[in-house]
Amino acid sequence: MMALSCLTRALRSMTLSQPALLSSQGVAQTKLAPHVTGVVLNQCRGFLTTASLKQNKTQWKLREKYTIKPIGMKKTGGRDYTGKVRTHGIGGGHKQKYRMIDFQRLRYEPTKVDQPFDEKVVEVRYDPCRTANIAMVAGGSRMRWIIATENMQPGDIIKTSAVIGRMAVSANEGDAYPLGALPVGSLVNNLEIQPGKGSEYIRAAGTSGVLLRKVNGTAIIQLPSKQQVQVLETCMVTVGRVSNIDHNKRIIGKAGRNRWLGIRPSSGLWQRKGGWAGRKIKPLPPMKVYVNLPSISAS
Amino acid sequence: MFPETAQCLKAAAPLFSQTVLLKDLSRLSTHGGGSHLQARRHLSISRCLTSKWERSYKDPGYYRAPPAHEMPLFKDRSCFVFNQRTSALEGVLQALWLTKTKLISSLPPQLLSLSENPANQIPDQDERVQNAIKHARFWDTTEERPGKERYSNTMMVNLLHLCATLQSSHPAIGRRTQAEKCSLATTWKRGEDLFQIRGQNGLLHTCMDPLPEVSGKQEVSDTADHVLETFYPVSPTINLQKVNVYKEEMNCSGFRDDYPYPHAHTLFFLEGADANCKLRPDQFRAKMLMFTFGNALVRAQTLYGPQRVLDRPVTVQAVGTNGRIFQFMVFQLNTTDLSGDDGIKNQVWLDEDVELYDFAKVRPLIQRKQVKVPAGLAGYKPEAFSKFLSLYLHGAV
Repeated sequence: MMALSCLTRALRSMTLSQPALLSSQGVAQTKLAPHVTGVVLNQCRGFLTTASLKQNKTQWKLREKYTIKPIGMKKTGGRDYTGKVRTHGIGGGHKQKYRMIDFQRLRYEPTKVDQPFDEKVVEVRYDPCRTANIAMVAGGSRMRWIIATENMQPGDIIKTSAVIGRMAVSANEGDAYPLGALPVGSLVNNLEIQPGKGSEYIRAAGTSGVLLRKVNGTAIIQLPSKQQVQVLETCMVTVGRVSNIDHNKRIIGKAGRNRWLGIRPSSGLWQRKGGWAGRKIKPLPPMKVYVNLPSISAS
Repeated sequence: MFPETAQCLKAAAPLFSQTVLLKDLSRLSTHGGGSHLQARRHLSISRCLTSKWERSYKDPGYYRAPPAHEMPLFKDRSCFVFNQRTSALEGVLQALWLTKTKLISSLPPQLLSLSENPANQIPDQDERVQNAIKHARFWDTTEERPGKERYSNTMMVNLLHLCATLQSSHPAIGRRTQAEKCSLATTWKRGEDLFQIRGQNGLLHTCMDPLPEVSGKQEVSDTADHVLETFYPVSPTINLQKVNVYKEEMNCSGFRDDYPYPHAHTLFFLEGADANCKLRPDQFRAKMLMFTFGNALVRAQTLYGPQRVLDRPVTVQAVGTNGRIFQFMVFQLNTTDLSGDDGIKNQVWLDEDVELYDFAKVRPLIQRKQVKVPAGLAGYKPEAFSKFLSLYLHGAV
């Protein structure tokens, strides 16, 4: 099909009774003889010298509207849009479907803005696209997928609130609150680093962060890597630990199981061990600050 | 084209002075000679490719609908539509809230007693029913094993045919007819929202005479004390299609006004009828309830108009099956005032998951070299068919 359209396009350019040139060739000729512009400077599109790279297009990713339906994915095999290998060691594996996860837990329904709302867990299931399990929740007249916490069961009611009261709330697992509303020392996951942006940290299976202290409108969280981050206290978090806590204890067992997951064997080329090998002792990196402090001149 | 040309020239000839360049350009644009014609031709091609050509005549094959807000039927107030493919999350509970109905979880006793009377039974009833099942499961096709959508349909037709043989002793059965794929449309208000049922019923039995009501005046007035069950975090409108382009005051049973069989008698639903939409049992029952209610509501609104509490309640029955398990339902519409939660409610008698038989195996089930289930029909239960028969005879005895 593609070859046929290439051919017809080429023939069409022939019938216009002029040399078929690529734009680069046209420029080259212009350089050579600028005074015969009338003949050379034509707008012919020329031959297509590349095949279609439709396989490398990611049409399925372009969806804007939220849906709970699983979306069929295309395998890239580690190739980028030009067809070159971008990431080694990817290819094959079981066919997977993508389920859109709503990472912005505090997404109000259009009619009810700024009111705390409850949702009911309908289903907790495996997701091929991530290590944690996902949960379907229904509240009001909408349904959405979220990341499941450790003890989430179908039928549970989970709460989402943006209110920061004077007293710390006693939250149940799976509830979502801003960091300022939670007591110090509570285990959290699905951390936002900018209010309203959607959670980006602590989403992998079995992980949890600790709310260390609250300072002057900001909160300091210890990530699973023991690094500390400082974010605004209006950032939303989910209380508890992410589900699928035994993810790191599973046994792959054989090379073929990694192939089922779409992971190819490493290259096998012998490489001398360098500085990356061996034990290293280094201090913890300094605290990351995601708070845009107001500049002095502004006040 | 011309700006592009100028760019090319600039890139190509940086040594040329500005005046020469301008001269060149002007020559190109004013009188290019032979090249001028070519340039014109290519200009037209490039315009073709960039802007969209519109045909000057009307071609319905290439009709593109206007955006929804420019359609003549567009309303600001949105309407929630239930159709035959809707899978309501909360199932029967949600359907009960939407139709303002009280659930009674068994069939009414006076209805069940109909088929206990020997005069109302078919001669050799059990044997003929078993033959009907065997026909649907084993003898219907030359295939080794007919699919679910095929055998459930055949079985339903067989059982209906068996029941229709009673016409000699009950002539009122002859005053019925059946219709497939008739579509239904009805509108009602519940709370603040507007709801519609649109879509195709299953197999619809219609009758010349209305079905008698199942419960008396006293029971109907007792339903005012019943409190509808809610399912708080979930709204009753979940999973219903929200539309803004719809017809208001839609009330159509799918037949003309002078249809000689205007009263809906029984709706027969098959679970595997729609290959594109598989409903779980609870959602299937919700669909049955909604469509039964819809048929009753259409009839009540055409008969009594805007009357609130009906003097003579409208009764419609429904039977659903997947080829083995039956769902029986009797719905009685007592009121068309559905907006508030108080007052008189409608009633539904629901008998769910009634098994007609345990196994109908083409090949025996063998585990560890022992025959667990022999081939053929096993575990036939006559109660299911007697319920089927009593629903069929309701109104004809």
